[in-house]
Amino acid sequence: MIRDIFKGRDLGFETGVQSVLRGQENRARSVVIHQGVLVTNQRSEERGVCAKVYKEGMNGFASMAEFSEAAALQVVREATQNANYLYKYAKKTKPALGGIEKTYIESPYTIIDFEQKRIIDLCKELDSYIAKKYSDLASRTVVYREDTMEKVIYTSDAGNGYVAYPRVTVYIMMKAETPDGNVVDHFDSFGGKESLEDHFTNLEKVYEGIDEVYKKLKEKANGVYAEAGVKTVILHPDVAGMIAHEAIGHTVEADLVLGGSVAGPNLGKQVASELISIVDYANTYNGAEAPLPVFMDDEGVAAKDAVLLENGILKGYMHSRESAAHFGVEPCGNARGWAFSDEPLIRMRNTLVLPGKDKLEDMIASVDDGYYLLATGNGQADLTGEFMFGVTCGYEIKSGKLGRAILDTTVSGVAFDMLKTVDMISDTVKWSPSGTCGKKQPMAVSMGGPAIKCRINIGGR
Amino acid sequence: MEQIRTASDYIKRLLEDKKDVKSQYTVSETKTREITLENGEFTLFRTLFDRKVSIGVIKDQKPGTISTNSFEEEALKEALEGAITSSESGTAEEYFDIAGGMDPAEFEIGVLEADIDGLMKRALEFKEEVEKNYKKILLMQVILKHVKKDVLYRNTNGSEDTTRMGEYEVMVEFAGNDGTNTTGICGTMASFKDLNTPLIELGSIKRELENAEKSLNPIPVSGKFEGQVIFTPECFAQMLGYSLGVLTTDAVILDGTSQWKDKIGEKVVSEKLTLSMEPWNDDIITNEVHTGDGFRSENYTVLDEGVLKSFCVSLYTSNKCKVERAKNSSMDMIVKAGDTSFEDMVKAVKKGLIVGSISCGRPSTNAELSGVAKNAFYVEDGEIKGAVNETMVSFNLVEMLNKISMVSKERLKDGTMVVPYVCADGILISGQ
Repeated sequence: MIRDIFKGRDLGFETGVQSVLRGQENRARSVVIHQGVLVTNQRSEERGVCAKVYKEGMNGFASMAEFSEAAALQVVREATQNANYLYKYAKKTKPALGGIEKTYIESPYTIIDFEQKRIIDLCKELDSYIAKKYSDLASRTVVYREDTMEKVIYTSDAGNGYVAYPRVTVYIMMKAETPDGNVVDHFDSFGGKESLEDHFTNLEKVYEGIDEVYKKLKEKANGVYAEAGVKTVILHPDVAGMIAHEAIGHTVEADLVLGGSVAGPNLGKQVASELISIVDYANTYNGAEAPLPVFMDDEGVAAKDAVLLENGILKGYMHSRESAAHFGVEPCGNARGWAFSDEPLIRMRNTLVLPGKDKLEDMIASVDDGYYLLATGNGQADLTGEFMFGVTCGYEIKSGKLGRAILDTTVSGVAFDMLKTVDMISDTVKWSPSGTCGKKQPMAVSMGGPAIKCRINIGGR
Repeated sequence: MEQIRTASDYIKRLLEDKKDVKSQYTVSETKTREITLENGEFTLFRTLFDRKVSIGVIKDQKPGTISTNSFEEEALKEALEGAITSSESGTAEEYFDIAGGMDPAEFEIGVLEADIDGLMKRALEFKEEVEKNYKKILLMQVILKHVKKDVLYRNTNGSEDTTRMGEYEVMVEFAGNDGTNTTGICGTMASFKDLNTPLIELGSIKRELENAEKSLNPIPVSGKFEGQVIFTPECFAQMLGYSLGVLTTDAVILDGTSQWKDKIGEKVVSEKLTLSMEPWNDDIITNEVHTGDGFRSENYTVLDEGVLKSFCVSLYTSNKCKVERAKNSSMDMIVKAGDTSFEDMVKAVKKGLIVGSISCGRPSTNAELSGVAKNAFYVEDGEIKGAVNETMVSFNLVEMLNKISMVSKERLKDGTMVVPYVCADGILISGQ
């Protein structure tokens, strides 16, 4: 754990510039048991300090792999020099960033460390359950991943504070042979914010999840290729989160808007069905804490919710202080950096499609010929709103009833076009807390939503 | 280098008291200087001082690895003890091992000191060139950096590699934009040794800028058909990466789920494909000195005229599955050039696409892949008809590698790979 060693110290912030100092530790724990053998057994800790200095549109940044007052003074000095160096090349300058309330925020979480033995024992227990119960698998893998970070943030003209993001995930992966001798695989993840003890003291729910992974895998082993083309689909809540993140979320990050995203000319316009509302929640949804609560970002901005789409109308973007100043709005605390050596970028937090009023069973019953898509792997989005994500579990829907499983495929569409086809939304939300978004740096994100009925382009045969 | 040696010497002394522990440990320091242009303006200048200590141990034939970025003695001692403690909970297998001892060696690779003023000069020149000659390009982000790394690798079998390396890198992200229409994001990168060459001449930057300008008014592809696909070098490297992942790497060889598990020495793909991993190729900028297991890295061939020569596996998998280990772990792909010019390749396409990248889910073990064709152009009767969007391609990677019909004479050299254009037949293409 890191301590706040900067409180009350002169941090060397110069006048005439806007400065942020961040001390940070990232901790990773990784265990992989493959076919009963511990093949990966790793622990890592990286800590250091960084400073970012803004001077009329130019940013200097410096970092050092040392968490000390001396290192803090050095990175502030170096970052200031870098901002001044770049300033020589400025063709036009920008005004100072708008004022932010000077508060001190401390997130309620702390980082709890567990001995590696405890982690390995957990993985062995899960592996043993699979090995005993499902002996006909072609392969089984249990992966434990802990990616926690904590940060101390001090700014010249915004908030200060201490934030921590503990997160743990267990992945269960299985492979099975198909009747024609091929191999299919399926996986699921378990866990979320906080620590191992919070999620894996009682393993009954994980065992139920493992049973479900096996069941779906066996169905997939007898699965068929999806028929390629534009189809009516029901996206399970786990998949709808991907719509919130990939299809809409990235297009409304202000840095991508400035880069020419399709969202730029559409602010205030109807871009989706009236049924669709999307919010990037800071830390609380519906009276309960969101899966990845963010209380303050890495620019010292107190986090608040960012409304992106409301009843299908594009209402706003996600911002850093600099982009908020450009667009003349208040930032909501979306600027975060992954490691101590990373500058904060505009990132999503807990991005959610809000629920509707339909029942999932009615939605499935309404489809004559289409697919029910239940699980997704990775996804990507583009400036044009063109997005795709992998589908790792799905079923045919024929005459309103679920049919055969389908093999892995990919779906794609253009966000604003696809979201206009949404005509039913279920009444229940499900969060996916284990996302990692890639955008120059990785970043922990969560996403979620209800089931959605829409038309989408599906790959296959 | 002095602090690195001091830290490494301390770990060495600690290990001298632990006779029953096999270990390899790497101590490194990195200095990165990086300049960013966003939307045509300089916005960010970063200086990053980083350190890393990585210690791997095998005790009682059980492995453990720990890493930290502190050089303090207390942290190093804690790291080594932590690695040993965590190894104790592992599974003992005779197959865990590290490389034997090698003669100590010193390596100096690339340009060690950054010329920031020179880099800024090249950045300004590039920005002005794009503004002048590529008026329909929105230069979203250009990241230019110099990375200098000092590394000391040792193992308990007596190896000691001292490496000092430095390289420049450029990453460019842009879109075609005429004020009304925009293309998707296009991106490319290159690693380079010095500042003698204008940035626009590196890797595929010029070609990608030209293609983005041509992509502003995409034409629709209707229906579904089987056609030919010309993979650009970057896209073919992406496909090779996916293929090797599900056919030749540790996980699939260990559990026996690779379709190629028993195919060493057999023809598994088209004879037109020869693929090697060559960290010491003259066109590769950052040379891998040793493998993850501590062997001196050497070039090796994966596929020789379609015949599978080697898996891409570690020493552990090699020992356990009785297969030869990969001679390096760099994935620096070198694909042998073919005898068809790119121009003739296009002329030979009856109906199909040129694809710059595929946005797709990671393929599963059965090597099936479907995804969105990005930075793609429709080709009919040997003519490029125009850019396309909202078009998907679906195929099996092994089948695709067996249906390679042409390999280009031209190869992309971006400092990380040397790869030609490759055309494959029988790819399912589906539009709206």
